[in-house]
Amino acid sequence: MITPRADRWAILALLLLISLGAVAAWHWGRPSTSVRAAAQSHPMSHHRPPTLGSDTFQYVYPERRLASDQVYNPVPPPPTSQPVHEYELVVQDVEHEVAPGIRVPSWTFNGSIPGPIIRGREGDLMRIKLVNRGSVPHTIHFHGIHPADMDGVFEMVPPGGSYTYEFVARPYGVFPYHCHSMPASQHIHNGLYGMMIIDPKQGRPPMKELAMVMSAFDLDRDGDADFYAWNGKAFQYADHPIELKTGEPVRMYVVNLFEEMMAPHIHGNMFDLIRSGTALKSAELTDVVSLGIAERAILEFKYDHPGPFMFQCHFSEHMELGLMGWFVVNGDAKQKKASAPSPPTAKTAPHHRGAGK
Amino acid sequence: MKSRPLIWLSFLAPLVLLVALLVVFYRSSGGLRFQSPAPVEQVAFERVVFLPDEIVAHVRNVGPKEVTLSQVQIGWLNRASWEFTVEPSPTIPRLATARVRIPYPWTEGEPYEIVLFTAAGLPFSHKIEVATATPLFTAHSLWTFSMLGVYVGVIPVFLGILWLPFLRNLGERSYGFLISLTIGLLVFLGVDALHDGFEQAGELPGPFQGVALILIGLSISLLGLFTLTRYLERRRAGIQQQGSSPLLLAYLVAFGIGVHNLGEGLAIGGAYALGEIATGALLIVGFMIHNLTEGVAVVAPIVRSRLGKGEGAVSWLHLLWLGALAGLPTIFGTSLGAFAPSPVLAVLFLAIGAGAVFQVVIEIISQMKRGAAPALLTPANLAGFLAGLTVMYVTGLFLSV
Repeated sequence: MITPRADRWAILALLLLISLGAVAAWHWGRPSTSVRAAAQSHPMSHHRPPTLGSDTFQYVYPERRLASDQVYNPVPPPPTSQPVHEYELVVQDVEHEVAPGIRVPSWTFNGSIPGPIIRGREGDLMRIKLVNRGSVPHTIHFHGIHPADMDGVFEMVPPGGSYTYEFVARPYGVFPYHCHSMPASQHIHNGLYGMMIIDPKQGRPPMKELAMVMSAFDLDRDGDADFYAWNGKAFQYADHPIELKTGEPVRMYVVNLFEEMMAPHIHGNMFDLIRSGTALKSAELTDVVSLGIAERAILEFKYDHPGPFMFQCHFSEHMELGLMGWFVVNGDAKQKKASAPSPPTAKTAPHHRGAGK
Repeated sequence: MKSRPLIWLSFLAPLVLLVALLVVFYRSSGGLRFQSPAPVEQVAFERVVFLPDEIVAHVRNVGPKEVTLSQVQIGWLNRASWEFTVEPSPTIPRLATARVRIPYPWTEGEPYEIVLFTAAGLPFSHKIEVATATPLFTAHSLWTFSMLGVYVGVIPVFLGILWLPFLRNLGERSYGFLISLTIGLLVFLGVDALHDGFEQAGELPGPFQGVALILIGLSISLLGLFTLTRYLERRRAGIQQQGSSPLLLAYLVAFGIGVHNLGEGLAIGGAYALGEIATGALLIVGFMIHNLTEGVAVVAPIVRSRLGKGEGAVSWLHLLWLGALAGLPTIFGTSLGAFAPSPVLAVLFLAIGAGAVFQVVIEIISQMKRGAAPALLTPANLAGFLAGLTVMYVTGLFLSV
């Protein structure tokens, strides 16, 4: 069969159409690559690290800030000379604000994570009453030297019940305390932990004191923590910086209560390290220390320069998920002039984006 | 005969009682005490846009209650909390959408994870395999995505149509083979579209009931085209126009393939826009080879018709219209998919396309039965059918990414 004339025309027309389309596509399709290349280079040239002094300041968000009364007070009770130290720790199931805007059901001592700071002096009597207003049995397990029935491992305190722990505080140092009901991983993760400070008999030189519990929260229980925090709330000291003065001696008690290594680190400074707080004098000058689970230390330092300084966990992930905050070091009038950056307070924090509320 | 008011009463009574019951239930929970142990929240990512120095996540609240977004984290090696804003509001009503703007200095080619935390602490995460700048709606990018449609849809169809002269020179047995081959192509296409549809339906948020969408899409095209065909045939029969039935069939095939290509284009454009297709060029080549067969399917019914001018002849202009009907929807698909992607529409059109293709298969078979063909299940026909499936399978190998 010979192809009819009309067919030939049809084929010619189709061929022409396709060639035109192909040429047009080849010609017009190409500029898109240059558009793409331009977009590609753009982010690099405008890279803004999320730190103070840049256009954006990552963690200052007026609309998302914790209210001031919700910030955990990092100042421990002052050392006392009483021979007996009585505390009452009430287990309460509350919704804890683990990061600005996120409240999760938690188990707490006295309604906060971490629990209250317990403080005594070596040789004094510690009397700590546990009152369980929670929904499951709890205990308190203290680190340190004490009798077996004061160890908080065997005597479960049922909901509605109470138990009083009594022991002589020794040795001096920094200690964690936490619930030891099984499964302990759940009881500790859900918030039942805190710090105990035992001062040496002769005391330590007076300084401005800070107590910092490092921990983390796995909200979806997938084995990866979602938020890390100084004293139980991610970014709280980023929103509410801690004010210091130049030349002012500072003693920071630090405990790690999470099942990962933590590495507390302060910026623009070095600290005298006293591991476990079980010595009077430091044996090491450094600016970062690795603390495994339940390990603790005393960091003593003094700022020479005024300005905002970050204190963080040196694991970047921990820092970026909440384990960071600011010391705002205020100098005297002379030094103030020299300080270039302004402290990250609500007044001066640069450029907030609205939260669209 | 019953009175009208009584009939209306019997219609209204159940509705009125239902409303009353709902009021009671809403107020007192009807004696049922359900306490949800954990907050039930669902947030679905619909689209992620990468702008210079900013990531914008389009999300929808597909949970039963309103939800408030409280924190955002961006995952690279590890997750990091990041500042963000939500438009129009961090509190999203049920089934409403919101845009989460994250001023993040992302870099091209990196993988990212976007995690949104609700006020109740539930994380919802979305992974981006390869970050790439989202095309903005400009003349250039519109042209680019239109050309993408031309490449994967229009050109292959017309190339396939170019086989017409060759096909016209086939003998009687070969003709049966060709028609059966076309059926094979179409069946493969339909099953493939259904598969894609179900796959995408599975990714749709629950309230959108992906499988039901497929049922609706299939029904629309199967029943709709059936009715339309019957109507057109009756009309043609009335005015005694011979030889138009093959052309009608060709248009039906073209229509089915066109709707299918619209769905396919939506999927391709959307995937490009979301940065999910890394090996773009290879995929385009794959689609060109694969869709070449669509051109063959379109002209197969008119292989025996006379082309050109004159009584009962098929004007060659029809070839253009057929190709356009089958191919052009791809262009709309890729553009729409790139700039206004809608997984719901993609599923719906894939299902409509599948239904249209199946309807055409039914139509062709009934034509074969009515026609002069000696028997339906001849060796040549069976071989053609199998060859059709095989061709689609082999050309489909090029599509594996």
